[in-house]
This record gives sequence, structure tokens and C-alpha cells, in this order.
Amino acid sequence: MTTVGSRTPRFVQMGAAFGVVFLSLPVVGLLRRVSWLTLWDQLTQSSSREALRISLYASLSATLLALILGLPLAWCLARVQFRLRRVVRALVLLPMVIPPVVGGVALLGVYGKTNGLLGGVLDSLFGIQLTYSIWGVIIAEAFVAMPFLVLALEGGLRSMNTRYEEAAAVMGASDFSRFRRVVLPLLRPSLVAGLMLAWARALGEFGATITFAGNIEGRTQTTPLAVYTMLESNPEGAYALSFLLVAVCVAVLTGLRDKWIGGISR
Amino acid sequence: MISLHGTVVSGEFSRHFDLEIGHEIVGVVGQNGTGKTSLLRTIAGLSALGSGVLSLNGVTADCPAERVFVLPELRNIGMVFQDHALMPFLSAVDNAALPLVVRGMKRGKANKLALELLEQFDVADVAHQMAPTLSGGQSQRVAIARALIGDPSVILLDEPLSAIDEGSRSTVRLCIREHLNRLGVSALVVSHDFADIDQICTRIENYTR
Repeated sequence: MTTVGSRTPRFVQMGAAFGVVFLSLPVVGLLRRVSWLTLWDQLTQSSSREALRISLYASLSATLLALILGLPLAWCLARVQFRLRRVVRALVLLPMVIPPVVGGVALLGVYGKTNGLLGGVLDSLFGIQLTYSIWGVIIAEAFVAMPFLVLALEGGLRSMNTRYEEAAAVMGASDFSRFRRVVLPLLRPSLVAGLMLAWARALGEFGATITFAGNIEGRTQTTPLAVYTMLESNPEGAYALSFLLVAVCVAVLTGLRDKWIGGISR
Repeated sequence: MISLHGTVVSGEFSRHFDLEIGHEIVGVVGQNGTGKTSLLRTIAGLSALGSGVLSLNGVTADCPAERVFVLPELRNIGMVFQDHALMPFLSAVDNAALPLVVRGMKRGKANKLALELLEQFDVADVAHQMAPTLSGGQSQRVAIARALIGDPSVILLDEPLSAIDEGSRSTVRLCIREHLNRLGVSALVVSHDFADIDQICTRIENYTR
């Protein structure tokens, strides 16, 4: 016999079904437009290849940058009591909630060559121009991807029992040795999940990149920008690249589910 | 040698201790809440003294009045934690070898020494099992081996036999005692079981609330 609590009302089932349809229709629409016979040719044509190369390079670099800056930040948010902690946490979340194009405008305000807060100095002193360069792509992607990594790492650090670090300290392990031999292995599931989410976000970045780094083929045109550009000139190519991005994201989600967040998705 | 004249604090709890321990094995008994574990944590450097002085082998390790606090990693202590605290991502032998590895010994050599100790504590057969797959008793034996490995100058055992079955306790007690005598260190053993204290220790400190 089913109890009242375990019975799912018909209208909830209907709502859920519509939800599934709403989410899956675009995927179906995309798959329907992919021209399977020319898929390989479309993906290997020079503009697609260049976009994929730039995307891969920039998204991996952005993930690395997010890790270098994000891990210490997550550590402080999880373990250090300081007055501005709430403000810093809000700041970390900001790139997640503001429109990416606004993020791009904000980055221009800092690193823009003519009117940027630091852009002029960087250009005149070191000859470094971030806008409309691969560095601009990396910074824009790191800016929007970092919150995913920081949140995952902060959660992992927060739920970590410090008794293992205490035991290692008594054994004679220095701060660095404890970090390397105890904290990192314990943090591995959160670290891998955070890195994959951040990388997927960086890979799909559009608004901040096009605003801050432009859409220059062979230099700053990442795969999402190429999709946008090709949609008019070469729709087949646009659908082929879109399919590839969806496939990569599905692979990331599947990897996350099976290996790292099995408890949540069961 | 351990010399402690001061107040041990842990959250709301605080208690004054006067302890002088030479190269001997001292049993600490007392009811729950008398500060036995807090005492061990303070000696290990995991908690700071509220006031007073703690010296280990003649060197001041903790003295709030003089702002002296030696970090736990510099105190050269071997410790068995009440919950064993084996690293869940390491095998039994890697756990036992960890104190040597973090001090710079090559893993191969450290594991060889650890394996010898695990043999003496009768857990060599599970040496390559991951820590979370060990039974309570096996895990505790590995934790004891980990506390004794290397050359700690002070050894602290917090309920070191609580998870070991009655039948094999006396063998483990003897093994612990042999090692502590061989090392010739200052050792503190906290236990609820008077038989542990009786067979391992040379002196008893009894604390009441």
C-alpha cells in the first residue's frame, strides 16, 4: 500500500514531464540539424579547427588560473575568520550571477588599453595588451569560471575533518607537507568536480569573451564565438561545433555523476 | 621527559595539572570529563596551555606568559588518537610509514620498516588493504605501529586498546610495553581498562572530577 507521502499527485507528474520535454527539446532540435555525413569535415575545416584549438588552450589556461587564485581563496573562506568574509564570498559569486557581457564590460574598465584602470599602465610600462588577445580570452574565461571552482573547493574544505591534519602535524609534517599529503588527497573529489565544472563553464564562455577579447578568427575566436559567427555563413558548421560542445558537456556531467557526486545523483 | 605545571583548557573545560614524567610509562586513569584527552592534546601541541609551562626533554614547548609555543610538528611525538585517525586514502602500511615519509625518508625504506612493525602487531596480512576496509582492532594496531615508528621522544596513547578484542589484548599490551621500554621514552597511556594500565605502565596518575 502506498502512503500519502509516497504518492505523487498526477499534476506533479505532468509538470515534471513537461519539464523534461522543455529541457530535452533543444537537444533534439540541435541533433536534428546536425548533418552527420559532413560532421567530420565541418569539424576539421580550418576555422573550426582554429576555434577548437583556441578554446582548448584558453579554457585549460583559464581553469589553471582559476585554480591558482581560487584554491587559496576557498581555503580562507572555509577556514579563516575575517571581518570581510561575507563581502569576499559575495564577490566570488558575483561573476556567476551578473550577465557575462557585463563582466566583459567590467574587465574592459580594468584592463582596457585606453580607459582601463590598469590597462594603460600595463601597456606603457610592459607593452602588455590584454584586450583582443588570447590573454583577454583566458582572463574573461577565468573570471566567469572561478566561482564554480571556489564553491566546490570551499564546500570540500568545510566538510573536511581536521583530525587528519592534526594527526599529520603530530607525525612531524610541515604546513606544506600536510597540504600535499593530507589535504589534497582528501580534497580530491571536490577538486576534480570543481575543475571539471570550471573548465566546462570556461569552454562555453561567450558574453565576457566577445566583449573583452573580441571575435578575431585565429586569435580570440573561441568555439562558441565561431558558432555564433558561422550561424549565418555556414549553419552546418555551426551545428557541428554546437554538437561537439554539447557532447563534451554531457561527458563532463556523466564523469561527475559516476565518479564524484554519485551520492547526489543516485 | 615531560614536565607540565599549568592549566589545560578545552572549550569550557579547564584543569590544572602538575606532572613530572621521566623515562617511564605513566598510566592516566579517571572518569570521562577529567581532561585526559585534553592533557594529551596539550602535550602534543594540538591545544595551547591556558597558563603555566610545559617542557619536553628540558625544552620549553608551551608557555603563554613568555609567548613560547612549539608547533606540534617540531615536538617529535608519537600518538595514538582515540579514533585512530588513519588516513582513509592510504593503505595500512602507508599509514604506518607516514611519520617517516613526512620527515623525508624514501617511501620504499619507510614501508619496509613499517611492515616489520605491522608484523609485530600481527597485522602484516592486511598491510596493503586501504584503511577504511580494516576492522576496528586492525585499524588500532596500525595506529599503534604508526605512533611507535621512527624515534619519537614522547609517546602518547589515548585508549590504545579500546577496539582490540579481549582475547588478544594481553599480547598487544606486551608488545606495546616492549617497544616503549626499548625506545626508553616518556610515555603517557590513557585507558579506562585497569588491566591495560597494570600491564603496560610503571606508574599511575589518577584523576577525579
